[in-house]
Amino acid sequence: MARFRTAYGAGPLHLLAVLASFAVVAYALSRALQLTANPDRILLWLGGSIVAHDLILFPLYALMGAIAAGLLLRRGKGSRLRIAVLNHLRFPVLMSGLLLVVWYPLVAGPAERGFMRTTGLSKDVYFGRWLLLTAALFLGSALIFALRYRRLAREGPPDEAALDPA
Amino acid sequence: MSRRGVQAQVNLFPRLPSFGPFREGFWRSPLRGPWLASMLSSALLPLIAICAITGFVSHWAYDTDLGGNSIFGGAAPGNGFDLYGFDWPVSPSWLYAFTQGLHMISGVAAIPILLAKLWAVIPKLFENPPVLSVSHALERLSLIFLVGGSLFVFATGIINIQLWYPFGFSFVPAHYYGAVLMLGALVFHIGLKLPVMRDAFRRRGVAAPLREDLEHTRPEPDLPNVVTSAPHTPSAPTLTRRAMLGGVGVASAGLAVMTAGQVVGGPLADLAVLAPRGRGRGNGPNDFPVNKTFNAVGIAPEKVGADWRLLITASDESRTELTREELLDMDLVSAKLPIACVEGWSTTQTWTGVRLADLARLVGAENPDQVEVRSLQESGSLSSVTLNRGQVSHPEAMLALRVNGADLSLDHGFPARIMVPALPGVHCTKWVGELVFA
Repeated sequence: MARFRTAYGAGPLHLLAVLASFAVVAYALSRALQLTANPDRILLWLGGSIVAHDLILFPLYALMGAIAAGLLLRRGKGSRLRIAVLNHLRFPVLMSGLLLVVWYPLVAGPAERGFMRTTGLSKDVYFGRWLLLTAALFLGSALIFALRYRRLAREGPPDEAALDPA
Repeated sequence: MSRRGVQAQVNLFPRLPSFGPFREGFWRSPLRGPWLASMLSSALLPLIAICAITGFVSHWAYDTDLGGNSIFGGAAPGNGFDLYGFDWPVSPSWLYAFTQGLHMISGVAAIPILLAKLWAVIPKLFENPPVLSVSHALERLSLIFLVGGSLFVFATGIINIQLWYPFGFSFVPAHYYGAVLMLGALVFHIGLKLPVMRDAFRRRGVAAPLREDLEHTRPEPDLPNVVTSAPHTPSAPTLTRRAMLGGVGVASAGLAVMTAGQVVGGPLADLAVLAPRGRGRGNGPNDFPVNKTFNAVGIAPEKVGADWRLLITASDESRTELTREELLDMDLVSAKLPIACVEGWSTTQTWTGVRLADLARLVGAENPDQVEVRSLQESGSLSSVTLNRGQVSHPEAMLALRVNGADLSLDHGFPARIMVPALPGVHCTKWVGELVFA
């Protein structure tokens, strides 16, 4: 048993569980591939979804966030006020971006004709609605910031230790 | 482990050069760590459970062992998990609207939490050394299935309800077995991470980090014997954990409300601003959402004109034909019933029509076991649908001719459509041409 642990890195139950999990995964994948036309497209979408998130969407919004933080809080001079500005920008940007990602086919997608033929409704209201929601998010965030402004300006920078633990 | 053992392991599983995201100090957010990941998981897990259960329930609701009801592969083992012999019930009439509404609301609400969870653990994608042992390598392989499967299932679902079909594969079996794949990896992941979650909550307290203000927002301490997503060289916090989780919660609740608007309707419908079916079409008796318009299915207009006849047959070859006027002269029943679409929207209207049981009697079929409903629609996976025994005999199960006091519009299935309590919307066949009782 100890030799198994050393060689494998965990107990035998771990191996059993991981094999059971892989069996379910393999079964599901084989059924999906057999039941649909163009099975290669399923593999493409499975792998593509990881690439789309991990290597495109995540780096994109993380980079935007890092640039915004870099501009606003240069050289650790993160006063409470500047941190609040950053957060009051982060919130509406991320919310608006999330709405765009989730409702992309409606808001910006190319399926106009199919949508209209199927539902009898036109799709062109959605882009405007998304813009309005985005505007409302920024406005709401700005309003709350204005309400907090006095208190934030009065308080000095947060204590140094919290800002720069290095 | 002996010194030589350690030496052997190091050689077997080397470090990558420290560059980019593989560098120890690359990931700096002080919020990341096992507590945050555990908190997000605790919110995500119930939603995924509801979404998965209601998804399997929807497969059941299709009664795939009857006639041509199966969307993929026919009624055989391996084409979805079937509850043979358990017919989908007819009561309460809002049952399918409820389960499928839950499927949609829980699924859409889970998206922001899933994205936040991926944000919280993404440093582990770039773990260095990338592999620590055989078991660790298998765990990481399993994570590819978990992350790929989840993103696949959520992406195909959300794209499909917006009537965009860029997949190139058939949605239903891919979404169904994609979910099975995800669950296969998820159950293992939960088993693996429950101890980590318990540790994180025990050390930090379940709710205590939510009370910290910005001054007291500190990086999470490492846990013994596990590689965590906590940063090696954290930067100064700019956000409390409370604010971050609050933002995720607001996003999730907002999406849930939008989606609920097209399930519940009424005053909530106005909140479904970005949901595909949340829109009113006017105030007329036929102005409620349409799944597929008459134009979209390609039925020749003369087929639904004055020459239309309803053909009713029974298994003993007896048959009869009725005009729409003859149907309207029969005993009519009225009932408030929902159309509940598999895409998660529903709409409840008052329908009037002839009981299916009365139509069965015309061809001498007392208490039929089932009826096959054939649409005039020539193509499409469910242009013929079979209803189970309970559905045929229910006193409100009808061939509807009118809605809200007016004749059905072409888009809603004129000359006649099926309406049965709790029946999935796509089984409420429109433009009915023939009923075959057995």
